Parts: sequence; C-alpha cells; structure tokens
Amino acid sequence: MTLRLNTDFAAGLFGLLFAAVLWFPREGMGRLSIIFPRAILVIMVVLSLALIVKAFTKPAAREVTIEGNPRRLVIMIAVLFVWWYAIDLLGFLVATAIIFFGLTWYLASVEGVVSRRRLAQWVPVVALLIGVFYLAFTQVLNVRLPSGIWS
Amino acid sequence: MDMLLEALFSILTLEGLATILCGVTAGLFIGALPGLTATMALAVLLPFTFTMSPLQGLMALGAVYMGAIYGGAFTAILINTPGTPSSIATTFDGYPMARQGRAYEALAAATIASVVGGIIGVAFLLLLAPPLARLAVVFGPAEMFWVALLGLTLVASLSSGSLLKGLLGGCIGMLLSTIGVSPIGGETRFIFGIPALQGGIELIVALIGLFVIPELISMAAQGRGALPESGKLQGGAGSAIMRMGRHIFGKPINLIRSCIIGQIIAIIPGAGGNVTSLVAYNEARRFSRDPSSFGKGNVDGVIASESSNNVMVAGSMVPLLTLGIPGAPPDAIILGVLLMHGLRPGLDLFTETGVLTNGFILSMGFAAMFLLPVGLLGGRLIHRVVVKTPFYFLLPSIAMVTILGTYALRNSMTDVFIMMLLGSVGYFLRLIGIQAAPIVLGMILGVIAEKGYVQTMLTAVVDPIPWLRLLANPLSIVLACLVVLSVATTLLPGWLERSGRMAKVDSDEEKTS
Repeated sequence: MTLRLNTDFAAGLFGLLFAAVLWFPREGMGRLSIIFPRAILVIMVVLSLALIVKAFTKPAAREVTIEGNPRRLVIMIAVLFVWWYAIDLLGFLVATAIIFFGLTWYLASVEGVVSRRRLAQWVPVVALLIGVFYLAFTQVLNVRLPSGIWS
Repeated sequence: MDMLLEALFSILTLEGLATILCGVTAGLFIGALPGLTATMALAVLLPFTFTMSPLQGLMALGAVYMGAIYGGAFTAILINTPGTPSSIATTFDGYPMARQGRAYEALAAATIASVVGGIIGVAFLLLLAPPLARLAVVFGPAEMFWVALLGLTLVASLSSGSLLKGLLGGCIGMLLSTIGVSPIGGETRFIFGIPALQGGIELIVALIGLFVIPELISMAAQGRGALPESGKLQGGAGSAIMRMGRHIFGKPINLIRSCIIGQIIAIIPGAGGNVTSLVAYNEARRFSRDPSSFGKGNVDGVIASESSNNVMVAGSMVPLLTLGIPGAPPDAIILGVLLMHGLRPGLDLFTETGVLTNGFILSMGFAAMFLLPVGLLGGRLIHRVVVKTPFYFLLPSIAMVTILGTYALRNSMTDVFIMMLLGSVGYFLRLIGIQAAPIVLGMILGVIAEKGYVQTMLTAVVDPIPWLRLLANPLSIVLACLVVLSVATTLLPGWLERSGRMAKVDSDEEKTS
C-alpha cells in the first residue's frame, strides 16, 4: 500500500512533538539534571525545523510504501499489546498458550484455510515450545514469570 | 615464562578443555537469545562455578563470556535481532546478507572474525596489559565526553539517506537515555508520574523493541519468514567457510584495523563492547572503496563488528586485572569472582598468583579457538531451524522469546510494554526514514556523553569559561580534533558530490585514463 506523505515534514513534526512532550516537564529540575537534556532538546528543535523547511524547499520522498497487508500489520500490533495485557491478567502460561495458538492459526490462514486436523497437530508442538521456554526461564534462569489471577 | 607454561599445562587437561567447551556452548546459546546479554549469561552460570577450583571457575566464566558475545551474532544475522548489544553493528550487513541468501557466508565470516578477534585480544592482554592499563587512567570525564562524540559521528553513516533524520534519531535516543534518575544531579527526569520509569529505559529493552518488533510486524504484514527460501545454504557449508576465509585473510586490513580499534576502546572503562563494534563498523565503512554497499550486505561490516567485539572480551580485562576497573559490565562479575577467591587486581595478580591469572587469560584464547567448531556447527543448526520453520510458528516463537527476554531483565511488565511501544513507533519511524540504529546509538552514547560533560562542568565551576575545560589537556584536544576530522571526512564526500566537484574530478580522471 502506498501513502502520500512528505517524509521530511512527518519526521520534522514528530521531532517537534517529541521535544514538546519533554520540554514542559523540565521545569523545577536542578541545573545539573537539566543541563544535558536541555542542550539536546534545543538541537532537536533546530533539526526538526530544518527538516520542515527542507520539506517545502527540497523534499526527499513524497510517498511511503507499506509492504504487505495493512490489516495484518494493524492486527499484529494489536495482538502484541493484547498479549502484554493478557500476561498481566491471566499469567504467562495461560495467556501465551492462547495467544500463541491464535496467532499461529491467524498467520497460517494467510496461505489458505487451516483444517481442524492440522490445528490438532499443532497443539503438542505449541505446548512443547511454550513448556520448554517456561521451564528454562523459571527453573534454569530462576525468573519468576507473572502468574496473573492464579497467584 | 615458567608461570605461563605451568598455566598452559593446567589447561591442557581433559577436565580443563571440557570446561571451556561447555562454557563456550552455554554462552553461545544464551547470547543468541534476544534480551539475554553476556552479563546475564555470566550471572546465571556463576553459581555453577562455586564448587569448582578457582582456575576452573575462571576458565568457565571466560569461556561463557567469549561464547555469549559471539552468540549475539547468530540472531543478528538470521532474524535482524542483536542477541547482545555488542552485535548491533552485525545486523547492519549481516541481515541483508541473509535476506540475499548468504546467511551462512555471514555466519562463517562472523565466526572466523570472532575467533581471530578473540585470539588477538588474548595476545594483547598477555603482552600489553601493564602499559595499556596506564593509558586507561588518563581518560577522565572530558576525554569520555569526546569519545562519546566520536562515536556519535557514526550517526552520519547510519542515516542511510538523510543526515538530518539520522541526527534526529540520535537526539531521540539521547533523550530516551535521560529518562529516570539523573546520574549526576540525582533527580528524576521525564517520568510523567510513572514510578516504574524511575529506573529509566533499559538499553536492551529499547534494542529489542526497535530491532525485533518492526521486523515482526513487517513479517506478519507480508506473510513471510525471517529469511526467504533463497536463504537456504547454497554451495555447501565448506565452500562458504573457504570463501570467507579467503576474503578475510586475503585483505586483512579491515580485520587488523577493527582489532586495534576494539583493543583501544576496550581498555577505556565504561565504553564497553557496544561502542567498540559500532566504531569499528564506521571505520570499515569510511575506509572502504565502496562505502555505499555498507548496510546492503557487505561482509566487511560483519567482519569489523564481530572481530572488534571479540577483541573487547579479553581487551576489557586489561583495566580489570591491573587496576580493578571493569572495562565492560560483564567484567564486573569476573571481578566479583576474583575477589571471592581472595584475588586482588594489581601487580600481585601477575606475580604471586601468576599461574591462575595466566591460566585464565590463556583459557580465553582456547575459548576463542573453540568458537570455530562450536560456532560453525551451531550456526548451521540455528540457520536450518530459522529457514525450515514455517513463518506462522517462527513469528509467535520470536515474539514469545522477546517478551521473556525483556521481562527477565528486571522482572518488569512495564519493560515489556515499553519494548512493544518503542517497536510499534519504531516501525512507523522507519517508514518516514528515521532508522533504529541512530536511536540506539544515541541511547548508548548519551549516557557516556552526559556523565563526561556534566562532571567536566562541575570541575570547572570556578573557571571563567567552564566549557574550555573540555579542551584542557592534550588528549582531549587530540580527541576533539579526531571528532572534527571524523565529521569532515563523513560530510565532505557528500558535499563535494552535491556541489558537482566530485563528478568533475571523476570525469577528469576518466579523461586522463
């Protein structure tokens, strides 16, 4: 998918917004704490303004190409954040089992319809994968993974 | 000399060699997992060494360190994910090579470069430890500030197209590094009332987010795996190794330069392997006859990055063993082990307990040599797994490992959220031309530059012009000149080309020929 977008202008605008977000909370900070971030913020504003000026005088690219299916792109981003939320809620093991299996099914369906038999064949593979990593992290590396509502 | 020979014989036992082999293998696999750093590999495997003799324990840890630093290259090349921060620069050309179907070539080049780098690092350590250690203490805050700026000039070569966007990325990275408690003032900055942000944004979290998540999103959108079918091994493993061997040793300048850079930066406490490989990569690009091919699959980029970061493993032991100053974070764990066994860094370490110290150093040399068989076999195995696994299994698996690796850093789900947020934003930033590499570089060097700058300003409060303290001694002036020179050599070709003078020179050359 190709979008019409002046990338210089977009980058400059992003830089200005980012600088603004950090510019306002700097009030009340001591000199030693703010001296370096303030210098970088000033440089960043100058660079962003330069990019915006360049966007009108000598723009780099006026379109952006998103390779692949944009719907799958948005769904993938959403799945990542749902995964994060679900781990907090249901614990690592349950949340990962559900989302891993669901994501595998969704991505495999890109190539065609996934039969029930194939889905059933995946269950032990997914369980083994998650189990190995779960045990490696909890038993070998001594990492306490979130257990959510089961704790 | 007697001590060196005695140390050599104590390593050349079945038990000694098996310890090194196990250490290298364990380090390699931990280092290959995104999020699990060499420091973490050492910390995790440390308890296993408690029951060992001091020499055997140090041998195991040295081997783990060497293996973990090298292991980071595997995922850097195969899935564009630096396993450890020191392999960031490996992704720049390693992954494009893998996408072109030259994954095993990149892995073979990384292995050979790592082995040579590791051995050269050990040789440096054995021969030059005392004089180099004296050089390390000359680096004060002002010098560190200039070293950081020198590293930042790398942004220009990582910008791929727009210098302004590269610099903007560097600024974003530096500002991200200032989130949390200020290193000098002690106040919290930019935490927006979120207590979890007090600890700042961990470099590894940003690294995983900015490199892995955009790739995952892209793979999902395109419905493809990390490597295309053409990523399968072509021409056999043996021929790839031979080809790479001939390339590396046929023109050894890149390797030698990267090793020297690695050694010099390694002895500066606080600089670490992250900076080492980036600077070596930049210099490889700058001195190349075809700098435009860097970032598109030039094997010299992989060689520069991997040789320099493995030189750093032994090189960073110089300030540790002589002054007790860890050159890089994993060295702090080695220092702890030395102290635990009653060994104090300094001259005594090379005289009274010389057999132990020399044994430890030599074991790292053996560990570097073991990288060759372990790495080439492990590389083939992991390469086959990445190519053969269907993308719908590979993608959720990578996502799961990145979540686990990020969480395990500080047992924090906030870190996982930050990783995903940075990754999602990073994907869109990549679309508008702001790449991940300058952002990460800004994060690494921002901390060093801030400490150096603020500490220098503190010492200069009574000076009429405080910032002149940044140029108060000869070494600072030399480093400042190097920064100017570096900026000039990076910008000059582009400026000449734009102004038409480069084209004129080229056409004149064509006429004379």
